[in-house]
Amino acid sequence: MADFIQLLFNGLVTGSILAIAAVGVSIVYGVLKLVNFAAGDFLTLGAFVTVFLSVDRHVPFVVAIFVAMLTIAAISVALEFTIWRGLRKSKAGTLSLFLVATGVSLIVRQLILIIFGVGSRKFNVDQVKTYQFLGAQIAQAQLVVLIFASATIIGLGLLIAKSPIGKGMRAFSDNPSLASVAGVNVDRIILATWLISGLLTGLAGVFQGMVQGSFESTMGWMLLLPIFAAVVLGTIGDAYGALLGGFVLGLVMELSTWSIFFGGVPSSYKPVVAFATLALVLLVKPEGLLGYKARSI
Amino acid sequence: MEAFLQPGFWVFVLVMAGIYCIFALGLQVQYGLGGMMNFGHVGMMALSAYSVAILVITYGWNLYLAAFAGVVVAAFGGALLGLTTIRLRGDYFAIVSIAFSEIVRYVIQNSDNFTGGTRGSLAIPSKTGAFTSYTKTFEPVLTKVQDLLSPILGDVVNRDFAMLLIVWIVAGLLLLFVSRTQMTSWARVLRATREDDHVPSALGKNVFMFRLQALIFGSVIAGIAGVFWSLQFSILAPEDFQTIVTFYAWMILIMGGATRVKGVPVGALFFGFLYAGTRFFEFPPFTWFSSSERAYLRVIIIGLVLIILMIKRPQGVFGKREEMVLEQ
Repeated sequence: MADFIQLLFNGLVTGSILAIAAVGVSIVYGVLKLVNFAAGDFLTLGAFVTVFLSVDRHVPFVVAIFVAMLTIAAISVALEFTIWRGLRKSKAGTLSLFLVATGVSLIVRQLILIIFGVGSRKFNVDQVKTYQFLGAQIAQAQLVVLIFASATIIGLGLLIAKSPIGKGMRAFSDNPSLASVAGVNVDRIILATWLISGLLTGLAGVFQGMVQGSFESTMGWMLLLPIFAAVVLGTIGDAYGALLGGFVLGLVMELSTWSIFFGGVPSSYKPVVAFATLALVLLVKPEGLLGYKARSI
Repeated sequence: MEAFLQPGFWVFVLVMAGIYCIFALGLQVQYGLGGMMNFGHVGMMALSAYSVAILVITYGWNLYLAAFAGVVVAAFGGALLGLTTIRLRGDYFAIVSIAFSEIVRYVIQNSDNFTGGTRGSLAIPSKTGAFTSYTKTFEPVLTKVQDLLSPILGDVVNRDFAMLLIVWIVAGLLLLFVSRTQMTSWARVLRATREDDHVPSALGKNVFMFRLQALIFGSVIAGIAGVFWSLQFSILAPEDFQTIVTFYAWMILIMGGATRVKGVPVGALFFGFLYAGTRFFEFPPFTWFSSSERAYLRVIIIGLVLIILMIKRPQGVFGKREEMVLEQ
């Protein structure tokens, strides 16, 4: 039972990080029809900027996190003006968008290596302190991440449901032409999408770094595939679905290591479990948990 | 800088370009004909290369039999990927195919007693327990080719030069074969499915089967590339088969024009020289960086070239613009 509580808790922590990152990827897809392969590496960048400011430059941790989030958001918006807008104008196909996004992701990863160096980094947070809860060991860093991630998710849910920007984003991803006829300011929605997605991506990177303890330049890439799985699981383009998908996937990944399931999956295979789940969902319910058709033939 | 003047270095670059040419040709079949955005192509190459090493080292198979088996394993990999995902919409297919190749890599990396894990193919358990190389029976072939050629061509002939000939002869034969298939009715149906699923289905064509065949065909070609990869390097490691390799193949395909078979070798040569040539940027601003940092810069330059290519000339060198932009 203690095992179960432990894994459940780990699953909620992983799930909340995946959910935040997945919303960032999903709203970009919903509004721009762009599968953002660079999200994983921006996640890493967020963690590295934070560690650079807070550990190397002694900026207070919270301030460092905000600066990192704003940095990712600013880069995302800058890329919109330099790359994505032009590609949309020239009616670039899915493949062009894919390849450019992959190119951006490679460039960001190499820049991280050049600017911040090779090797793993750590935040100045207490990695040792743990609490006992129903027999489970709960690390302080995990608890902090879970609390702040939950607050972010609730705030995000309200933003998407109630604010004019959130409504505009949902309207635009449902039907772009109808939304612009109805007076939704397309350019503003696109900028807001990049901004929100950038902030979320940076934050998810910091959270992941805190939970992992130490992290390297490949952290985000390793997380990208589970993030995509969460996005597809929750119906690609649907922000609430992405939240749900993130939590489901986080729980599945952690609980799969539980020893009562034929001894459990070795924990290095967790990303494989994420994909097996994705493949299963696509075979059984390809439209995702909440959605419409994903099959074409 | 010395390497710049050594023919041996450029011979190595040409061998790699040849292997990448074969590898990208597999994508050409899948995307150029079938319109499938396979981003997990490297998975098939990994399956084939590791099959060769494991069958020879652990099970003591004959190398050529193992090479054939490696290609068959890659074909099965393609079939598995296809049967589960071909019905998915393009962007979903791309995501799941990346997942496929990453799963292959994770499994290779974590199965220490079978694939050698992170220590690479050197750690594959052999039948006798002693260290063995799987290319032992191939080296005499290369030596024979060298012996035949050195009287004619002189000093330039070395192991890599023999490999260069073999790789490019196979690449040439495959190019010829693929460009012949372009004129068949099979390819015409596939090209039709690339533009639109419904018309060929209405004409009674089984779109699923045609795509599956193209995916397996492309995987077989990737498997052949994997065999040559394993022969060229004699040592395999899981990190050789990262998604970036698939990305390089896409770059080759796009540079040559995705729908033109003859563009593939041109793209492969261009890529080979771009990749190797960036080693010789020994002037500012590149000298501001250390040599390991310059390795990262090289990938950045390749990424930038691709981004600029996609923005300015998405059709590549030989391609038709309409085929890139009207895709959706």
